[in-house]
Amino acid sequence: MARSVWKGPFVDAFVMKKAEKTRASGRNEVIKIWSRRSTIMPHFVGLTFGVYNGHKFIPVLVTENMVGHKFGEFSPTRTYYGHAADKKAKRK
Amino acid sequence: MRVKSFTADPLDVAAYGPVSDEQGKRSFRLKVVGEAKGVVICTIAGVTDRDAAEALKGVTLHVDRASLPEPEEDEFYHADLIGLAAELSDGSPFGRVRGIYDFGAGDVIEIGRNDGTVIMLPFTKAVVPMVDVKAGRLVVEPPPEVEAKPEGGAEEAGEEEGEDGR
Repeated sequence: MARSVWKGPFVDAFVMKKAEKTRASGRNEVIKIWSRRSTIMPHFVGLTFGVYNGHKFIPVLVTENMVGHKFGEFSPTRTYYGHAADKKAKRK
Repeated sequence: MRVKSFTADPLDVAAYGPVSDEQGKRSFRLKVVGEAKGVVICTIAGVTDRDAAEALKGVTLHVDRASLPEPEEDEFYHADLIGLAAELSDGSPFGRVRGIYDFGAGDVIEIGRNDGTVIMLPFTKAVVPMVDVKAGRLVVEPPPEVEAKPEGGAEEAGEEEGEDGR
């Protein structure tokens, strides 16, 4: 069995704890985290995290297809802001 | 001609009719003939020789906003949202929209606050319940924030916690 399989995904304990607390409260809070290394777990789906990128907190609304990725992947530290003439934003 | 396209789909550079230069004085009709690394290969009506093409080097091309198709419900062009005044639900001023980004976790709206700080909020109906492009304003309801920090410092968070766990 591969080492990464038997060890399981890594999540900082305090992130897990706060996520569970927020989920239990049912409030629509943004959980500000510095732990970019934590893995996104299935029970984080639907929660919004503010992931620090060294400068500001980027809102990360967790969806099913983000499970297994790390929080840091969704909060770039070097941003190419770019520009698109016909780019659209959809309000969810 | 090699054209660096900034449309969402690079090949759409010619999809919205003629494009114009920055001053809007000259109009160009593009036809996409291919794609190369980072650029779109186009022909431009009336540009038939190398010298005419060379004269257009560095010209920025603009699409008329009116030629873009109407967005669907709850869809907004970034260009329409940027610059809108952001207000709280009680009507008090909050700031101004500086940008819209998508880093892979849904659209994010960046608002420059009146006190000079910048805040990023998820672009959802719960946080941005009302967008009125014609009136030049949108209403935001910033969600409450909680912090997830290690309670016992580095010990609880693991040996590397000093780096980023705070």
